[in-house]
Amino acid sequence: MADVQTMEKRRTFCAPCNIYREDSKVVLTMEMPGVSKDELEVKIDGNLLILHGSKKAKSLQGRYRVKEIPEGDFHQEYTIDDTIDRERIEARMEKGILTLTLYIKESEKPRKIKVKAL
Amino acid sequence: MSLVKWKDKDIYDPWADLSSLQEEINNLFKVTNAPSTTGLFDRNVSPAIDVVETDESLTIICELPGMDENEIDVSITANTLTIKGEKKELFDGKKGKYFKRETWSGGFQRTLSLPADIDSSAVEAHLEEGILKVNLPKKEEAKPKQISVQVH
Repeated sequence: MADVQTMEKRRTFCAPCNIYREDSKVVLTMEMPGVSKDELEVKIDGNLLILHGSKKAKSLQGRYRVKEIPEGDFHQEYTIDDTIDRERIEARMEKGILTLTLYIKESEKPRKIKVKAL
Repeated sequence: MSLVKWKDKDIYDPWADLSSLQEEINNLFKVTNAPSTTGLFDRNVSPAIDVVETDESLTIICELPGMDENEIDVSITANTLTIKGEKKELFDGKKGKYFKRETWSGGFQRTLSLPADIDSSAVEAHLEEGILKVNLPKKEEAKPKQISVQVH
């Protein structure tokens, strides 16, 4: 197993994620403990939302007696459709939780049309 | 005759691929990312920890994202260290709806028995970016000492 770790590419895994929809926004929360604001990368590439959080150099010096926390970076890619407003994406990193707020475009929101009486 | 190490990092190792494949398949069957539960009646989840030992101290690392300092209870009784608390739900689910839910919430507890050479009066714990670090220094007499041997 040691050889896998020393290979060029650091291993990545998906962070536990919640997707929650409120009337005009979609809130994505991801648990990324140990990732600071500067180590997080949020990118939008066309229809792809790419998230990468690195935990580099977080391991301690010494002998590991118990090792349950997997080593590696967080990496995830999501496809977003045209209903999401690309210009209005908010990202916040707090206490190891990344909160991404994606707003749905105004034009895509359900509208009510008033019926006028003649 | 010299002994040559067979394994060379530059040589492609088919077993490395195989073992990573095995790990990936195992991950597929892991239904949730929730930590395992312990206890028969009080179903507490036990979060993952790392324990690192150096000559001076023992450090316990625990991943607790989204928690405040005052929500985590770290206590030592005799030689048992207990980390417990309650992780809150992020959304109450009243206003909207979940599309995906992979995180866990609720009470958690982790108990560890410590070695006898820990100085329990000097234990420190702090929380940063969702990671709890408990530093347990060793007693003075338990630290390794260098004794120089004089050669006459």
